[in-house]
Amino acid sequence: MKFIVISLLFLASMGVASAADIESGKKLVAERNCAACHGPDFYTSIAPTYPRLAGQHEDYLYYALRSYQVETNANFGRKNAIMGSQAKGLTEPQMRNIAAYLASLPGPLLVKK
Amino acid sequence: MNKLSAAKPNSANRLYPLVLLLGGVCFAFSSFSVRAQAQDLKGSAEAGKAKVWLCTGCHSIPDYRADYPLVYHVPKIGGQNSAYISSALLAYKKGERKHPTMRAISTSLSDQDMADIGEYYAAQSSSSPINSMK
Repeated sequence: MKFIVISLLFLASMGVASAADIESGKKLVAERNCAACHGPDFYTSIAPTYPRLAGQHEDYLYYALRSYQVETNANFGRKNAIMGSQAKGLTEPQMRNIAAYLASLPGPLLVKK
Repeated sequence: MNKLSAAKPNSANRLYPLVLLLGGVCFAFSSFSVRAQAQDLKGSAEAGKAKVWLCTGCHSIPDYRADYPLVYHVPKIGGQNSAYISSALLAYKKGERKHPTMRAISTSLSDQDMADIGEYYAAQSSSSPINSMK
């Protein structure tokens, strides 16, 4: 009995690797004002050189944010003054949540030949 | 006699108009030395149709993923802003963005290629035709 209780408590405390939290991502995106550049719908950006994000692959968005953080990495860093400062300080769960939220939005991005 | 007001030698006098002319010409031509950025060129989706054969190998395959430093889907580029695509390609070429495959591909592209490829993908929608070229 003790064993069952303890192992259950242990499993509960592990924190299941859950799907990223879209609600939390939505809050973060609002707090950090991503829409200021990427547009309120995240596909009408204020400048044509700023990408559309709505509906992009979730794992790619996480990868991109991470790349901006590691700008000097020789294999996947991205050196960009604007995004570098935006991505600075984001923790991994925050980036995953932001990515999940943006990926969940409807948008014009597609895969086609 | 004030040295500052002393007349300059005759040979230098003759050079002045020439120097002025040269300076004027240099100034006029200086604008041409600015390298055209990829996004300043006008791209054409029709021209891009023939230039995307390198792109389709990854970006046209649903669920295609890269695997370093983590497994992630290659980005959807259909329907993306054309200037973003061409500026991203330029960043790969310049080394501001690091990615071995994308760097290799972008170094083979001219600014015009990048503009055309950008326009091609920007024009894609769910109703646009599939690229008929092999």
